Amino acid sequence: MEERETVIEVTDLVKKFGDRTVLNGVNLKISKGETFVIMGGSGCGKSTLLRHIIGNLKPTSGKVCLLGTDITGLEGAQLDEIRKKIGMSFQSSALFDSMTVGENVSLPLREHTVLEKNIIDIMVTMKLELVGLRGFEDLMPSEISGGMKKRVGLARAIAMDPQIIFYDEPTAGLDPIMAAVIDRLIVDLSRKLSITSVVVTHDMKSVMGIADRIAMLHEGKVLEVGTPEEIRNSANQTVRQFINGSFDGPISFFQQKDDYLEQLTG
Amino acid sequence: MQVKLEDKSGVSVVFVKGDIDINTSPDIKKFFDELIKDRKEKVVINLGDVSYVDSSGLATFVEILKKLRSYGGKLKLTNLSSKVRGLFEITKLTKLFDIFDEETAAIGSFQSGS
Repeated sequence: MEERETVIEVTDLVKKFGDRTVLNGVNLKISKGETFVIMGGSGCGKSTLLRHIIGNLKPTSGKVCLLGTDITGLEGAQLDEIRKKIGMSFQSSALFDSMTVGENVSLPLREHTVLEKNIIDIMVTMKLELVGLRGFEDLMPSEISGGMKKRVGLARAIAMDPQIIFYDEPTAGLDPIMAAVIDRLIVDLSRKLSITSVVVTHDMKSVMGIADRIAMLHEGKVLEVGTPEEIRNSANQTVRQFINGSFDGPISFFQQKDDYLEQLTG
Repeated sequence: MQVKLEDKSGVSVVFVKGDIDINTSPDIKKFFDELIKDRKEKVVINLGDVSYVDSSGLATFVEILKKLRSYGGKLKLTNLSSKVRGLFEITKLTKLFDIFDEETAAIGSFQSGS
């Protein structure tokens, strides 16, 4: 198989918040054009990992290379220059309530380019067409549904023609049909625009539907990386528990500490 | 990116070389503003040496087309690489632009009145 260019490389990434180790030696390589899903339970470190990859957090040790540049030590303008090449779709959509749909989508173009308004308006129309929302330019975020807000957020994420889009829990809070719409859109955009997509989610239906490869993150480590088929057939008990949504298994939901009675009685 | 203009049988043929992206599309726009000021009616853009056009470039072509049409001018595109053509297809712009494989065919289309 043809070796594809690596666009994201995470090496021995460790992140500690005080005494707590959230990422404990993460290694990942993500190739150009693939849809890569990072899955894991709440608190497993997946959002923290994402924030490192986009340069929002600095690691305790290890490094992150984004589009061939080691961003671990980058700050300010140098980091902003790399960030112009990526798009971010937030869990909350993160739209500005005081701006129309069109103004929200055009915001990065108005902020980061010298393009004329006429050109920006045409680009906004093209982006909204790609997410199926052309004609909604003049509505306010409060006038559209949660699923539509997600799509507007997506149109904004692709406004600058990013090479990589990061999705943080893209289907969270959506009904199953709207979740399927967003999943389809992620796959369509990746294929049509040849964009690399990195999706952080714990929505198993979504994971299996969109991923080229999946990384299972648990207790700050990558337990396994594989295609949906490989992950589905994994022999790892933790992976199996997660994909089957079982209560029983290695993933513990309650902290079992011996000092419970002692704490009660003082 | 480089832009060059040649008159071929009364048709303004514009050769573009290099990527057309957020950094370079304003220059393309400026170049065509001059052509449009001169009311050129028959315009061909040869994209044979363009390997990438981003959405700002596509939007710039749409804006040029709109301005040309406003006074009866016509625009033809030619020599698109398969990658660039794919970008026009994704955004459904192949339905908006007259696209030719060869420059001679694009120039000839003005004579045949299409």
